[in-house]
Amino acid sequence: MIRRLAYRNMKRFAGDYQIYMITLVVVAALLYAFDSLFWDKELGRFDQMNQMMMIMVGLATGFVVIITAWLIYYIIHLMMERRSREFGIYLLLGMKKGQVARVYIRENLMLGGIAFLVGSVLGVFSQQILCSVIDSIMRIPYSFRLSWDYRTWLMTFGCYAGCYLLAFFRCGFSFRKMNINELMKQDRKNEEIVEKHEEWKRILLPLAVIFLILFWGMFTHLNSTGEIILFLIGLVLTIYLFYTGVSAWIICYVRRKGKGIYQGQRLFLLRQFASKIRTMQFTLGTLTSLFTLALLGASVAFMFCDFENTALKAKFPFDVLIYSDQVQDDFQDEKEVLQQEADVKEMLRYRIYTDQKDQVNTWMLTHLEQYGTMYQNKNGKPDRKRVTKMLENDGTYCRYDTYMGKTDYNRLRKMLGYEPVHFEPDQYIVQTKKRLQKDVASIGKGIHLTAADEKTELTFAGVQAEPFSQDGHNGGDYIVVVGDKVLQRMKPYYSELAVDLKGETPQGLEQKLDALADPDDRDFSGHTVSSLSGNSCSGSDTVLVYTATNLVRDNLIPELKMLLASMIVPLFYMGLVFVCVALTVLSVQQLSDSSKYKFRYDVLEKIGLSQKQVKSLLLRQMAGYYLCPALLALVISGKMVLYISANFVRRTGVSSRVYTYFVEGTLLFMGIYLVYFAVTFLCFQRSIFLKER
Amino acid sequence: MVRHLKDCIRVCDVEKYYGNGQNITKAVDRVSFQVEKGEFVGIMGASGSGKTTLLNMMAAIDHVTSGHIYYDDLDITEMSADQLSEFRKENLGFVFQEYNLLDTLTLEENIILALTVQGKRRKEIQKICQDMMELLEIEDVKDQFPYEVSGGQKQRCACARAMANDPSLLLADEPTGALDSHASKVLLETFCRLNEMQRATILMVTHDAFSASYCSRILFLRDGKIFHELIRGERDRRAFLQEILDVLSLMGGESSHDTKTGLS
Repeated sequence: MIRRLAYRNMKRFAGDYQIYMITLVVVAALLYAFDSLFWDKELGRFDQMNQMMMIMVGLATGFVVIITAWLIYYIIHLMMERRSREFGIYLLLGMKKGQVARVYIRENLMLGGIAFLVGSVLGVFSQQILCSVIDSIMRIPYSFRLSWDYRTWLMTFGCYAGCYLLAFFRCGFSFRKMNINELMKQDRKNEEIVEKHEEWKRILLPLAVIFLILFWGMFTHLNSTGEIILFLIGLVLTIYLFYTGVSAWIICYVRRKGKGIYQGQRLFLLRQFASKIRTMQFTLGTLTSLFTLALLGASVAFMFCDFENTALKAKFPFDVLIYSDQVQDDFQDEKEVLQQEADVKEMLRYRIYTDQKDQVNTWMLTHLEQYGTMYQNKNGKPDRKRVTKMLENDGTYCRYDTYMGKTDYNRLRKMLGYEPVHFEPDQYIVQTKKRLQKDVASIGKGIHLTAADEKTELTFAGVQAEPFSQDGHNGGDYIVVVGDKVLQRMKPYYSELAVDLKGETPQGLEQKLDALADPDDRDFSGHTVSSLSGNSCSGSDTVLVYTATNLVRDNLIPELKMLLASMIVPLFYMGLVFVCVALTVLSVQQLSDSSKYKFRYDVLEKIGLSQKQVKSLLLRQMAGYYLCPALLALVISGKMVLYISANFVRRTGVSSRVYTYFVEGTLLFMGIYLVYFAVTFLCFQRSIFLKER
Repeated sequence: MVRHLKDCIRVCDVEKYYGNGQNITKAVDRVSFQVEKGEFVGIMGASGSGKTTLLNMMAAIDHVTSGHIYYDDLDITEMSADQLSEFRKENLGFVFQEYNLLDTLTLEENIILALTVQGKRRKEIQKICQDMMELLEIEDVKDQFPYEVSGGQKQRCACARAMANDPSLLLADEPTGALDSHASKVLLETFCRLNEMQRATILMVTHDAFSASYCSRILFLRDGKIFHELIRGERDRRAFLQEILDVLSLMGGESSHDTKTGLS
């Protein structure tokens, strides 16, 4: 009989809370799809990068399990409250607490089991979508690989069971404390609105608003760990106390009999809203946090997507570029490998020169926006001590300034398909990255270069900013291009070999070039890296810096895309689950209210509101309830995302506007939001009006 | 729209059936009667006799299967859903056994909301609200929420809300059903006061003889039909109560076999 009871309850529950069921199915499908990456053979080919992806997906899965456990716990707890009278009746009929708990656990397990089975079937298809997305990110030709893997299934089952275990662990306490009288009265508790010290509580709203203004103004100036921790504590308090303040403000306004309450149904709306956010303030705070994290995750994922689509190719313009810290290196071994493995169109060995001074480096450190006044004295002059220390130890720039001859420069330009640059023998130009073009435009006023005779001053003839591989190969951030004669007074600094290949670059070419080097000179992923010996550097890019000795573009880009995908994919994964979980909580709360408080809408109809008016009232009521946590999350995440994206744009040189990622993240977020809102609104209406027919 | 009843409410040959095919239940069976302006009419009957169904049809929240209900010359059975909701807003006030107060509003706010729905202005709302609270003696608890006050106070608030719009007809469905005897007495005296002082037309459904004894006329329903009618006239309330009890004992005896059919 208990089994039948649990089965019938489960059927009713599944019908009433379809949105919750759908979210459980979606979570199970996503868990399955992402877990399948651990055993994907195509991705396994990328070895080290794949490990990175696995670590990130593993972390994301951990967060997803915790958040899903919270969702399940929340819904189980909510339903326990709403069904307290029913549980009271079971106890009155003579059932033991353990039996009641078993009925409830059994019906929830049946529900979870069904969602898991449906989800894991859908997961097989979601896996295809995920694989096609990842394959397209990495430019691997997509191969349809529909398969069911028992290891994936077991892992998903483990995660899913983990969610339920965590949720049941917390609910167990509630069952032990059950008391018939309490249970029978439980459903009335929600109707009791306690209003105490509202005038005092009201102050929390202006405090929260002041904190949010401070947050917008000071977020970018936080320097010490202490300041950041204090700010985070303030933010958490603001998120949770904001709702108490809003609710108190509304209550005081209604009590004061403000003008607004005498118009239409505003009194009902205000009271309804105030009472809802008062009883739900902790949940709304948590939902705001989830929305904030989801928006942050989605926006950062969009940043990396943009970088991957636009900036990555510009980072590696040459088919092959090889560095050597030996100025006499003729790259004989490398040339042999290239001749054997690939169809070479053109090879150019050239040298980077130095005048063993650091005026250009110093100018960069004291004039680039990203460094601010870090390397300046109080009077605005360069802080020599700091500059020297930085150039000797940091590796962003070579120890001395880097130069290139005009002939080599134009040959490299030709190799890349750019027009040659013309300037007079007593002139020089600076080749830099696009993101630094504006800053570097005034370099001519700050540096003084001389011709071969060391007397005649060279004049500045402009800046070139085409992609030129300036993360350590053709200088770090910049290279000064001078007439070939000027090089006579300089010393060769290091050597480079640039190669133009015909047709496709063979796979594994970079590995073969790396194999030529001493194993001690290789990094964790097997690539050869140069030691910081003064004539090697990485440039000042900070988001993605790749400083290997051998750069083989078409071998490298898929690897880096895999690295980026290991950030993008888990961020979207977490963002999606966080938003779905938060919206499910909002929806289930509303739908649960729709049946519990149906009488409110009956009363409104009886006091003269038409069905159309009640529907419009419902729409406004739900919109306010849904928008409140979303707006607060937008305000908080907005500042964070704008700050991060401003830095991202400045440091990567992507051409997008700063607000683009926030807009994209918000649109994605609002799209999912609207779907949940529309479905909940329709179900709410149906629950209120359909039963009357 | 009637707005203020000039003459009377006429219920003409009203029928209400539930179900379909073989399984039809007659809740109200060809009922006709008239309620004059300013009258306090009670409808009595056993559980399932059709009294609440009849009240719901008069309140335009349930449709008749056949027949007509006229407020003066206005036939509400011919109206569209929108017209009916407008009609309810303009002409009717409701008091129910379960009070039906909005739990998120204080007692005063429950009355204010009913007035703002009518589109009345702030000052007018404040005045009416104040008057009604004074009349129904709930001023002291006006800032309390429904869960904080007694059943009697809740029901008086429901009366104030129902009367605030000066309706053509006040409909009360078992208004004393959830009250103790003292609170019931206070509420019924309030109804009488509203009836006498405000000339309110009241239609009350009850199965309680004591409550019914406050009415000026009582219609007894059995199996969906009007079985008997009592008019109080000049008799005192005690004598009227005795007469009601006599009718009820007669009805109870005869109707015990077949009260399963029909709904209330």
